[in-house]
Amino acid sequence: MAGFFSLLRRLYLSLYNWTVLFGWCQVLYFVLKTLNESGHQHVYSAAEKPLHYAQSAAVLEILHGLVGLVRSPVTATLPQISSRLFLVWGILWSFPETRSHVLVTSLLISWSITEIIRYSFFGFKETFGFTPSWLLWLRYSSFLVLYPTGISSEVGLIYIALPFIKASGKYCIRMPNKWNSSFDYFYAAIVAMGIYVPGSPHLYTYMLAQRKKALSKSKRE
Amino acid sequence: MKVTVVSRSGREVVKGGIELSDSATVADLQEAIHKRTKKYPSRQRLTLPVQPGSKERPVVLNYKKSLKDYTIGNSETLTVVFKDLGPQVSYRTLFFCEYLGPLLLYPVFYYLPVYQYFGYKGERVIHPVQTYALYYWCFHYAKRILETFFVHCFSHATSPLSNVFRNCAYYWTFGSYIAYYVNHPLYTPVNDLQMKIGFGFGILCQISNFYCHIILKNLRSPGGEGGYQIPRGFLFNIVTCANYTTEIYQWLGFNIATQTVAGYIFLVVATFIMTNWALAKHRRLKKLFDGKEGRPRYPRRWVILPPFL
Repeated sequence: MAGFFSLLRRLYLSLYNWTVLFGWCQVLYFVLKTLNESGHQHVYSAAEKPLHYAQSAAVLEILHGLVGLVRSPVTATLPQISSRLFLVWGILWSFPETRSHVLVTSLLISWSITEIIRYSFFGFKETFGFTPSWLLWLRYSSFLVLYPTGISSEVGLIYIALPFIKASGKYCIRMPNKWNSSFDYFYAAIVAMGIYVPGSPHLYTYMLAQRKKALSKSKRE
Repeated sequence: MKVTVVSRSGREVVKGGIELSDSATVADLQEAIHKRTKKYPSRQRLTLPVQPGSKERPVVLNYKKSLKDYTIGNSETLTVVFKDLGPQVSYRTLFFCEYLGPLLLYPVFYYLPVYQYFGYKGERVIHPVQTYALYYWCFHYAKRILETFFVHCFSHATSPLSNVFRNCAYYWTFGSYIAYYVNHPLYTPVNDLQMKIGFGFGILCQISNFYCHIILKNLRSPGGEGGYQIPRGFLFNIVTCANYTTEIYQWLGFNIATQTVAGYIFLVVATFIMTNWALAKHRRLKKLFDGKEGRPRYPRRWVILPPFL
């Protein structure tokens, strides 16, 4: 019975990883194709649909961690996925004025390459039980470039969105109300930008530690 | 007796070791280390060496015990592993700092025209519930400060200095957050009956909480010895951590009367934190009082929040 669940788990995770990989491949394809054909202004509208599916599917990874299907700690997964969902739905989807900016291109290229490598890595691992050494190296090296470009794009887009957030008054709760609560999306976005200041170095050093651990292990084998 | 003091990496902390009399205690050793290293006793963590690769947890030396208790046979030498815990403060200091903030910050929002800086000009109408909330809140934190100095007994242990900043951030931030909304110019009060029920229930729980703390204080033997005992009397007959129960319920009462999202968020966070403490304590008491070897058996009780937990 335990063997059956183990098989089922591997089957499910394989399916999940390859499916989301396909989604991110689509994102990258549409980004590059549109960039080549009509310029960065139209990148978002071309890649919008697969981006929504691929990034939102990442929510399942938090569940995977909570349920114990995978060993990655939720404390590492949750902040990263939260910030991406915030960008996809809270900024780009909510404020169309941001979609034509060039930072969308750098954002989507950074994200999709990172995710293609990551989901390929996990896909190989769950399906075949091993990972090619070049993919392992990519998995633990590409972030050195792609995290800075991705994070810069994220912060930049939030910054660009601020005047539109303020002008629209979207997602705000005003007093008076029965529950004596208020929420200002404009200031929440500023706080979110502020969180990147301690958050980014933390994530980067975490990945550096992972890199050292993983590559030294593979060297030993 | 010759004592060698090393760090966890094996480096000698005290050059040449320390010579002590055969009747010396761990406290004497700590004083000697203090003289040689400037690390005062409360920031020293002394343990016995553990075999490399062993998974056993190291034995922590108890400052009251004789050094002879930790030697093997009639050995005249002892090796201890030293770890610096960093700057320490007493729990009294820690508690005073964390409670003083809310006590002083809350009235600022009530009495001073701070809402001008948040864009609210003009006169602010004060509702009766806001005044009673001020009294309730200040009574609560004043009570905590008084309990810190006159009711609570603290063990020998101290707290790292970093906890002062963490705990103050928690209490002061939530205090300001709640104060902002309860005293807001656009605050909407609940009806009179709900206010009376909330504050009435809350006061009852605050007084019960105080009585729970008295019971816990009296649990300590006259000599002030450490060690765990089964709490008995009042709500402790029903709940392991009745002090936490009454603490949670008094905040519930406050929230029923004032009805702010900020207050309920604080309630949830506080409940989560105290539940973890309560579970740990409950587990420890059940383990210590297992009814074997003449020890009493720990009675069946709720942990912190009957009838849920």
